[in-house]
Amino acid sequence: MSENRKNRRQKAKRKSEVFYHLMMFPGLFFLILFSYVPMVGILMAFQDFVPAKGLFGSEFVGLKHFIYMFHLPDIAKIIRNTVVIALGKILIGTFMAIAFSILLNEIRRQFFKKTVQTVVYLPHFLSWVVLAAVVVNLFSLDGSVNQILSVFGLGPVNFMGNSKVFPGLIIGTDVWKEFGYNSVVYLAAITGIDAGLHEAAAIDGATWWQRVLHVTLPGMMPIILLMGAMSLTSILSAGFDQIYNLYSPIVYETGDVLDTYVYRIGLVGRQYSFGSAVGLCRSIVGMALLLGANGLTKKLTDQKIF
Amino acid sequence: MKNRLWKKIMAGSLAAAMMVSLTACGGGESTGSAGGSSETEAAQTGAETATSERETVTVRMGRQTLQNAKLPDGDTYEDNAYTRMAEKELNIDIVDEFEANGEDYDRQVSLALSAGDIPDIMKVGSLDELEELYENDLIADLTNVYETYASDNLKAIYDSYGGRALANVTYDDKIMAIPATNADSGPSIVWVRSDWMDSLGMKVDEDGDSCITIEELETIAKTFMEKNPGGADNVVGIALASWITSGDPDGTYTMNSVAYALNAFPKTWYERDGQLIYGSTTEEMKEALAVAARWFDEGLLDPQVGTRTWDDITALLANGQTGVTFGTWHIPDWLLNNIYAMDNNARFAAYAVETADGKVNCKHNDATAGYMVVSKQFEHPEIVVELANLFYDRLANDPSLLETYPEVAEYQKQGVDGSTRPMNVEINSYNSLLEGFGQLQACLNGEITVDEVKSTEEKSNYEGITAYLEGSGDATGWAKYHSRLGGVGLIQKLTDDDTFEWLTPVFPRTTSTMETNWANLEKLEEETFIKIVTGVLDVEEGFNQYVSDWKSQGGDTIIAEITEQMH
Repeated sequence: MSENRKNRRQKAKRKSEVFYHLMMFPGLFFLILFSYVPMVGILMAFQDFVPAKGLFGSEFVGLKHFIYMFHLPDIAKIIRNTVVIALGKILIGTFMAIAFSILLNEIRRQFFKKTVQTVVYLPHFLSWVVLAAVVVNLFSLDGSVNQILSVFGLGPVNFMGNSKVFPGLIIGTDVWKEFGYNSVVYLAAITGIDAGLHEAAAIDGATWWQRVLHVTLPGMMPIILLMGAMSLTSILSAGFDQIYNLYSPIVYETGDVLDTYVYRIGLVGRQYSFGSAVGLCRSIVGMALLLGANGLTKKLTDQKIF
Repeated sequence: MKNRLWKKIMAGSLAAAMMVSLTACGGGESTGSAGGSSETEAAQTGAETATSERETVTVRMGRQTLQNAKLPDGDTYEDNAYTRMAEKELNIDIVDEFEANGEDYDRQVSLALSAGDIPDIMKVGSLDELEELYENDLIADLTNVYETYASDNLKAIYDSYGGRALANVTYDDKIMAIPATNADSGPSIVWVRSDWMDSLGMKVDEDGDSCITIEELETIAKTFMEKNPGGADNVVGIALASWITSGDPDGTYTMNSVAYALNAFPKTWYERDGQLIYGSTTEEMKEALAVAARWFDEGLLDPQVGTRTWDDITALLANGQTGVTFGTWHIPDWLLNNIYAMDNNARFAAYAVETADGKVNCKHNDATAGYMVVSKQFEHPEIVVELANLFYDRLANDPSLLETYPEVAEYQKQGVDGSTRPMNVEINSYNSLLEGFGQLQACLNGEITVDEVKSTEEKSNYEGITAYLEGSGDATGWAKYHSRLGGVGLIQKLTDDDTFEWLTPVFPRTTSTMETNWANLEKLEEETFIKIVTGVLDVEEGFNQYVSDWKSQGGDTIIAEITEQMH
């Protein structure tokens, strides 16, 4: 009897679940269409791809494009530039976002808090095409930054044309653009921390700094690890649209990254197979780093990202 | 995070894959027979098929545009006096598949090519693109339609290049494009604000041969910097584009004129003592870079050289921050006119830079530049030839056409840019520039009447220039006055005085090593040159290192490949 009822209940449950599973279907369809189907294009990396012959008519050449890529005279320099700029953006960007969210969380006056939040979000929504014009105006030789520097008897610094400061300019402007938006996640994490812990620490005589260090930060740690691991996947993409709009041959030395290089050689030079070979390499490195980071966090903190 | 390139490639491949599957479904045999039958049909009916008998054909085009084409209000690239004339005359309907400026256009073409879906008619900029289109079997064979439909005048124009023009677009004995002709464009001219020179009481070119030395050029730029006759902030002596040199002899915003005066021919393949060399790797090029590096060091060259865009440099000129620039003979029409718009007192004098022997070095151009191609899917490939007939034969030689289309005459008078024509290329006979100028000059001197001037373009030039000389202040007249009497006048004078020293370069097809290594070698060259000029690299050391890198990274192989190609 009870067995019977249980069965019936399960059946009913399954019935209602079918409906929910069906709801998933459109999303799944688009996921397959836009994320899995294009993966067929990976084939291009192993071919001498000719558009008219198509993906299945082009000649297979094995690892030719990968070998060519690693024999390019500039490849070491370009990978170094990419990693330096990407790592700089990840580290400084994450630090700024965390610091900003902790500080913002301390503000009690709601109006002020919301205003600051909106102001720092704003640059995120502007495209680099627009912002590049602003950056060029600010940092050119007769721009306002150099005018301010000259008041202190410094400069002028040719930010746009000096390969020593150019990566700094790229990292700095990107952090400025994105830290506000990235702090949203951290703000949410802070809100999720049990207020009782803070109270208890305060009663025990912990200073503000000690509370940040021993309550807030540990409470945020899972999110920080997650975000850090996710951003590692982009270690080989240093931000095409930003750099493309700001660089020039004069700063190729430190500013030419994988994306811009592949763009010039692959797309403008119409070497599609080479372009996809580089893209594939980058995805593999990104995935390896993500899996590595996941394993490491599991080992260190007993928490898994996925 | 920002895998734009990856996404683009993916999108491209997806589109390509779809194309493949579509054509597979549609049945390869039907496209094959359709193509065959329309071709034979065209050949059979021949020229007798009057355009009007054909039903209105929709032509999808790729159009390269110009930022400031001076189109009257309400007119667009897709719908203007020229397109309306073409639509009525040829009974077609022109629809723009895509429009883009300068380099963006080349990118559009690249994308269309990678998707395997090209417009019915479009222009491509380089022989490499043409070759790729041919190899991918995307474009139509135009041999028959050219033979059948091209007018005698059009054929005569191509013949004036001694077969070189059509040879460039012939693959396996098939004409695959209607090429834009490319007559010699003359040297990169030094344009100097003559109103400033007058106000400062400066005297240059005292022997009157229209040539100045490099020292004189420096003196002019220095004096302008010191005296600042434009009254501007942040004065700049000489501004150059980030690419410093150009493969075109007349390269605008480049230091070609200085390089040529030192017998250096950057980005040029040529033979010396029976040996093929690349001009950017010669000792003479090193000397030329040394001059620019000295300018930079002395503050004569723009301290922000390398990071300035094309528009930045135009702005420097328009703001009166600099009064010396380099460019081809026609920049008054589309670039220097911006300066006149800002300052009605602006006047320019045109000079060539002379070698130590008092000669002016120049090089011949390849016979073609720009190619009109027709999609293989398009059923009326003859339209491209008919367009060429209309714009380069009838419009130039048949005055009644302008009476039928007064708005086209108005366009020519207003100096609306030629790129608004649906056929955005120039097809002119080899000597057309100086021939036209000879007539214009004779007319201005009162030796012949306006009605005797053959080409409608020179007629409108005459009208513009006389109006300007009478003090109308007309901007088009100002531009034509400077480009014709200044720019072409200089070329005419140097030709008459026998001052030119002509170099005939080698124009190689892209070799297999070029395909893989050229982008990299170009990067090496561009990067090294700008670093030498800005003093990051030592001239001597940096240049020698560049030459040896260039050779070892494929340059030597490419030289061998091209040498083989030549024999």
